[in-house]
Amino acid sequence: MDGVHDMGGMHGFGEVERKDDATVFHEPWEGRTFGLMIATGATGLRSGSIRPGIEAIDPATYLGSSYFERWARSVESGLLDAGSLTSAEINDRVASPEPPRAHQDDTNPELARRLIGALVDRPREPSGDDVPGHFAVGDSVTVKRMAPAGHHRCPRYVRGATGTVTRLPGGWPHADDDEPPEATYTVRFAMTDLWGSDAEPGWLYIDLWERYLA
Amino acid sequence: MSETHGHHPKPKTPTEQRVEAIEALLVERGLITSDVVDAIVETYERDVGPMNGARVVARAWADPEYRARLLDDGTRAVGELGFGGAEGEHLVVLENTEDVHNVVVCTLCSCYPWPVLGLPPQWYKSSAYRSRMVREPRAVLDEFGTSVADDVELRVWDSSAEVRYMVLPLAPDDVTDRSEDELAGLVTRDHMIGVVR
Repeated sequence: MDGVHDMGGMHGFGEVERKDDATVFHEPWEGRTFGLMIATGATGLRSGSIRPGIEAIDPATYLGSSYFERWARSVESGLLDAGSLTSAEINDRVASPEPPRAHQDDTNPELARRLIGALVDRPREPSGDDVPGHFAVGDSVTVKRMAPAGHHRCPRYVRGATGTVTRLPGGWPHADDDEPPEATYTVRFAMTDLWGSDAEPGWLYIDLWERYLA
Repeated sequence: MSETHGHHPKPKTPTEQRVEAIEALLVERGLITSDVVDAIVETYERDVGPMNGARVVARAWADPEYRARLLDDGTRAVGELGFGGAEGEHLVVLENTEDVHNVVVCTLCSCYPWPVLGLPPQWYKSSAYRSRMVREPRAVLDEFGTSVADDVELRVWDSSAEVRYMVLPLAPDDVTDRSEDELAGLVTRDHMIGVVR
């Protein structure tokens, strides 16, 4: 979907603020959100992937939320979609907060080992399938004009622009999990072709699925 | 962790309350256990972070053959040092030279090479960084105190699909006088994102 998350090139957000930026989780709940995101995703308690859930947040709320707040909303909506919890149950517990009434001391070291193992598992080779594609390195490609309603990874700021294929990273299912794998291309654009003749000199590189290109 | 339910210096935000409620409900139904969540949190607070990427860079500076392998296939080369996994399944390493400077952004969300850099800092996920780095990179780099000369080619990488990117910064002039440990100590997260040259 073409939402407010697609920020490339927008004006008005001001300077980049940096503070306390060596801390991974600034509040414990941020770490819990991250851990719950991984654990509920890996165990099937949460359905859907995290990004479409974030992009579905209404624009005003999205802009008014921190990144972990967006993740928390997406984790919650994924749990509701999977039927693991209901909104009413969560609302009730928020109204009367208390620790778990059962199983509070249970542990599952085997699952912890398995999940951590998967998180830091070194791939034998880079991901990406060797699938046939229409374009080759050096080809000139133009990003299609479009307005896709589903989850996609083609920012508005490259649409209509023409660039050059510089690398063929491989094929993956499209961002909305549309099988089979589809070729992706690393495409280089001149900054002036994206932002006009007074753009800063330089190049913009971006990876694009074949369906975005002509 | 039980401490999250204990003393708090300030009122809990609505999101914080909801996250606590969700974890409490999942635990009391036996759907998850908190030690699993603890283990995930600790992994990214302790084991996976920019110190991993710094070791990769130091090795590349010290060993030209490793450098060549790293630039040819980042995924396998960082795997040689024991790094890999989620958000690093296809890693491409971008080489800074005297004539080229690379910088990485994710305009659509917060894609970032976790196995070598850990989780991204807040500013990397900010609207300001995501909106501006692709349009006025030199102005943003200036705010980081990084001046890139006009005759240096600037390459901005918007990580939008499955590849994750890391920058191999320029080696210091005295690279041959230093141990790999010393070299790793010179490398920061910001070098490997490319906001520092």
